[in-house]
Amino acid sequence: MTTDLHTLLAPYSLDALEPPENTRFEAHLEQCPACQAELAGFQATATRLGDAVALTPPATMRSRVLTEIARTPQERPVVTAIAQRRSLRSAVPRMAAAAAFLVGTIGVGGYAIERDNAHEADARSTTITSVLAAPDAATTSKTFSTGGNVRLVASPAQDSAVIVANDLARLKGHKVYQVWMINGAGPKSQGTFTSSGTMIMHGAGGADSVAITVEPEGGSKQPTTAPIVTIAI
Amino acid sequence: MGANAAHLKLASSSTAGPTVDLGDLLVRTGRGDESAFAAVYDALSSSVYGMARRVIRDPSRAEEVSQEVFIQVWKTAARFDAQRGSAKSWVLTMAHRRAVDAVRHDQAASNRDRKYTSSNGPDFNEVEESVTLSLEHEQVRRCLAGLTDLQREAVLLAYYQGYTYAEVAEALNVNPATIKTRIRDGIVRLRDCMGIEA
Repeated sequence: MTTDLHTLLAPYSLDALEPPENTRFEAHLEQCPACQAELAGFQATATRLGDAVALTPPATMRSRVLTEIARTPQERPVVTAIAQRRSLRSAVPRMAAAAAFLVGTIGVGGYAIERDNAHEADARSTTITSVLAAPDAATTSKTFSTGGNVRLVASPAQDSAVIVANDLARLKGHKVYQVWMINGAGPKSQGTFTSSGTMIMHGAGGADSVAITVEPEGGSKQPTTAPIVTIAI
Repeated sequence: MGANAAHLKLASSSTAGPTVDLGDLLVRTGRGDESAFAAVYDALSSSVYGMARRVIRDPSRAEEVSQEVFIQVWKTAARFDAQRGSAKSWVLTMAHRRAVDAVRHDQAASNRDRKYTSSNGPDFNEVEESVTLSLEHEQVRRCLAGLTDLQREAVLLAYYQGYTYAEVAEALNVNPATIKTRIRDGIVRLRDCMGIEA
């Protein structure tokens, strides 16, 4: 089972895995940069196979699709904040704006749409930008092959960190992502999110790392699965 | 003859080369640009529909799935990441997954047994021929021809018929591990033949 996960990559690229294996392989894929790189080439190959049997669709399909999308809202990579503490709840709109700023300006690969929001976000945010603006703020990011990314900005001087999860693959079966701050006393829950989320972590100066696990809806008291990502602070 | 050649050249230039980058169009689509989306549709609708037709067979179901694919493209375009692959690959990967899901769902719903045995399995020669005949792209045809018969059979059954590798194994009465290997070797050979960067 552990030995031959890599042998699932080629069938995966053709959507030829049974559902349980598919789930298992996707979990592996997130942690396997070599698999991600190879998969891109396999998918490009499969794309040629699909392209090779192109066929003009009925003309009516075009107008139906265009009519449909005109009334279909888009899933924007807007960050919906999950505040665990009451003091943070009141800050949610501000945090959401600031998170858009964060996602758009930190690191490479941020989407232009988010950069467009940067100006107003910059003006309104306070808590998060104070972390961002800290002279010692350090950013770490991790992109998932199944979609989305996580960015962590930590400022030891402010004893705080901000974590932004952007557009991660939605989990099936009533599962959520749960964020943990880990220090010598063990992991401490920072909150959960379904696809995107941002949270401020105080006391980050004493933490060793931040981890994200997949947990049942509502979150767990302690992590019950291996982290999908661990970021050292 | 001269007029003919000119005509061909015109025809190929009108279908072959979008001067606007598809990735840019998808990014604009992600910002809500409906005209950019329409251009994405025009560039990829034949690929999506043709693939769906091949996998699903039923024309109206294929059309329905194709429509769903484009609506999903519209909804999730902001997730497209050019660093992880081309726009066409992003859309067709999404489309293939949906087409295969539709086939499996429909077959499960109609209680039809897709787990053919080797005695009542599909005629692979027929499958192969129908795929090969309609291939527009000479390169794909040539590269498929460069596979061993066993590799080609496994790849074609998985991609165009929506079989899982376990179903391919069962249909051919071969060890699943062997099918995984054939698929892998087949794709690697296709990839290299097509000049796709490893």
